[in-house]
Amino acid sequence: MASLPFTNDIRTLRFLAGEMTQGELGDRVGVTRQTIAAIEQGKYSPSLEVAFRIARCFDKPLEAVFQWTDGNS
Amino acid sequence: MAFREKIHWVTLVTMAAAFGWYFLVYPWQIADSPAGVWATAGLLVPVTIAIIVAMTVATAFLAIRNRAEVDIKEDERDRSFHMRGTHYAYYPLVVGIWINIFLIFWGISQAQQLNMMIATLVVAELVRIGTQLYLYRRGY
Repeated sequence: MASLPFTNDIRTLRFLAGEMTQGELGDRVGVTRQTIAAIEQGKYSPSLEVAFRIARCFDKPLEAVFQWTDGNS
Repeated sequence: MAFREKIHWVTLVTMAAAFGWYFLVYPWQIADSPAGVWATAGLLVPVTIAIIVAMTVATAFLAIRNRAEVDIKEDERDRSFHMRGTHYAYYPLVVGIWINIFLIFWGISQAQQLNMMIATLVVAELVRIGTQLYLYRRGY
């Protein structure tokens, strides 16, 4: 199965945000803990809305959380 | 494994076992006669009861063991996987219906048509649930 063309720093950002758990982030974003885990592992591509909600949780711009990696613009 | 995923596994195994039994014990030698329709009805009753009982017991057992997850609503990932499962299930459904249409013109009995439709529905459901489980395991 092809991997997603972007990575993310959610795990690091959670750690820096007082070791926030996946469940806590999920509650704040409105998704399950399993969905946060899948996003972190690159197994699920979140909707734009959820991506923005995650970034807003960490008070960061979207690009600070998700980084495009496949070289195509 | 999440509560929702476990429920999908229970559904998959229950359906495969119940309808596997149905197609194994069905009296195919009378499938050409009107009695074949009544045989289908007679077998669908225990199959339906078995599915309802197994699903109820398994769901209650899993709910007791996973109390914290029982009230969690579907999120966008669950809905996305459900939609993709339904999308893939559409193909065997269409193929099965078309085969059934051709077989009706071919002149097969009502009982055989009935079994063809049941098989089509079962395969479509297994594809839907199987796709969801695959996506939960392997991801997007």
